Amino acid sequence: MKNAVFALIGLALAFAPMSGYQEGIVVLLCINCIAAMGVSLLTGFTGIFTLGHAAYMALGAYTAAIMTVRHGINWLPAVMSGGVVAVAVAWLIGVPTLRLTGDYYAIASIGLGEAIRLVLENWRSLTKGARGFPGIESYTTRFVAVAFFTAMGIVMFNLINSRLGRELKASRDDRVAASLMGFDTPSSRMKALLISAFYCGVSGALLGGYMNFIQPSMFDMMKSTELTAVVVFGGLGSMSGALLGSALVTSVMEYFRDISQYRMLIYGALLVLIMVLRPEGLLGSREVWDFLPNRRGGGIKP
Amino acid sequence: MDFNFSTLFQQVINGLSLGSVYALIAVGYSLVYSILSFSNFAHGGFLVVGGYICYGLLTGFDVAFGREVLLSVPSMGGIWLAGLGAMAGAGAVAVLTERLAYKPIREHTSMTLYLLIASMGVSIVIENIFVILVGGRFRALPQGTFPAATFDLGGGVTVNASDLLSLGFAVFFLGGLQFFLMRTRWGLAIRAAACDLRTAGLMGVNVSRLIGIVFFVAGILAAVGGVFLSARYTLYPQLGGITTKAFVAAVIGGLGSLPGAVVGSLLLGLAEMLTAGFVSSQMRDLVVFSMLVIMLLIKPAGFFGKQISDKI
Repeated sequence: MKNAVFALIGLALAFAPMSGYQEGIVVLLCINCIAAMGVSLLTGFTGIFTLGHAAYMALGAYTAAIMTVRHGINWLPAVMSGGVVAVAVAWLIGVPTLRLTGDYYAIASIGLGEAIRLVLENWRSLTKGARGFPGIESYTTRFVAVAFFTAMGIVMFNLINSRLGRELKASRDDRVAASLMGFDTPSSRMKALLISAFYCGVSGALLGGYMNFIQPSMFDMMKSTELTAVVVFGGLGSMSGALLGSALVTSVMEYFRDISQYRMLIYGALLVLIMVLRPEGLLGSREVWDFLPNRRGGGIKP
Repeated sequence: MDFNFSTLFQQVINGLSLGSVYALIAVGYSLVYSILSFSNFAHGGFLVVGGYICYGLLTGFDVAFGREVLLSVPSMGGIWLAGLGAMAGAGAVAVLTERLAYKPIREHTSMTLYLLIASMGVSIVIENIFVILVGGRFRALPQGTFPAATFDLGGGVTVNASDLLSLGFAVFFLGGLQFFLMRTRWGLAIRAAACDLRTAGLMGVNVSRLIGIVFFVAGILAAVGGVFLSARYTLYPQLGGITTKAFVAAVIGGLGSLPGAVVGSLLLGLAEMLTAGFVSSQMRDLVVFSMLVIMLLIKPAGFFGKQISDKI
């Protein structure tokens, strides 16, 4: 049922008639939502707060850009490799750092995210440095972005209700209890990190194909904060909330594009206001369909 | 680059001076962390507020309003008055931030993540208020704000008077903070609250006022750091980004530990300047963040931090 709804939304986004401007917004929405789903799995469902996930977007974007521009590889394998490289780096980083808990992981992730960005900035022979990497072909059409979003969305929504999803929630709510129940919490936390890195990597690779140009400063701490903030805004532990939050923030930022000077001011004030007025986020830890009346059977209320 | 002792000595002096400025920032940040256990990312904003108030007082605020709205203060005590104004202003902004943004969150949730994100929001707001108000240009404090003299120590080693000044002021303010924490009633209350905020409240400490005082002190220290940073690097709205390094220093020293913040800052300043002197100044930031990551892997609690009891 949920899969069908998702597929329908996908079809509507892919084939509804739109102006070029609206198409651009849809592409951006899909890209941001893919990254938000990844971060939501890690932060909302596993309880690992990250402030460095923009770095995985950067890795995906640069991998895809280098493969398509330098080596003339077809964009589809390049985008997938973007995700894979992000996963590989996440694994290297995750082995030692996932032992850290709470604020310490968040701070370590800032350090790692900045370190990755600085490497990209200084490894000029590979990445063309701080001035950016131009000339990426526009492979992220509306259809491609929506297809990726729909496919990855369906996978993600099934994942959070799978055995792994329940393991993640258990280890989020009480790690000690979860490991006493026999869950291998370190391994499920690692899986969550790897999956979220893959989502961010693919999202970054698609972003490169949409913007035709990438730059290390596009993936700085501000972007990482935005990813986590969007998830918190939607509601920790709510995947549809993350999508809603991401869509709202993307549209609001788009709406204020004309007064770009005030855009960041509004964004900052919005972050503070959301935290003050509704820290549990738009949906709390419930999903959109939990709000539907007269639901028959299934599902456990949190 | 060749290794030689005069470069080494020179960079050690520069490193200590830079580290002392980091220390001013890191100590305020760590103080807030020790009470509320969240990373206050708006701390960099307080620093920028301090820097711009100082600049404004020295130049009569002509940047913000297009004309001098005040008689500029150089004739009336110059940097001293401007510095005092900066400290008071940044302290006030810090208290205001706490009251408007953090207090409502503190009161209905115990999740520090919400405070963390709100603090990111505040830092974005402060930065962009200055972008809108005065523009993103780099501004240098007026000539003659700090003595420009340099002392030659022989062998090609020179020391700037402003470096010595920042070192001296850092020692003075850190000493003052130590006195405040160790010898006054509010200092005792703050130390108690750092152990356990709730219990301190139950013992009759006015927690709300205590948190206000902590933010005011943190704001003052940030303003001093901001003035010296703008003397060193010029002033711009994104100057607060340098606080990330002070965070790193505080983590290396042990979050919430004030001696740790000072030691971490000095180490970081030295590492940065030695990298700049002997490797390349582009590697500075990379070294800083690598130090953070290595420290978190080896000893996540930092040099002086409380042991983390969670061991899985």
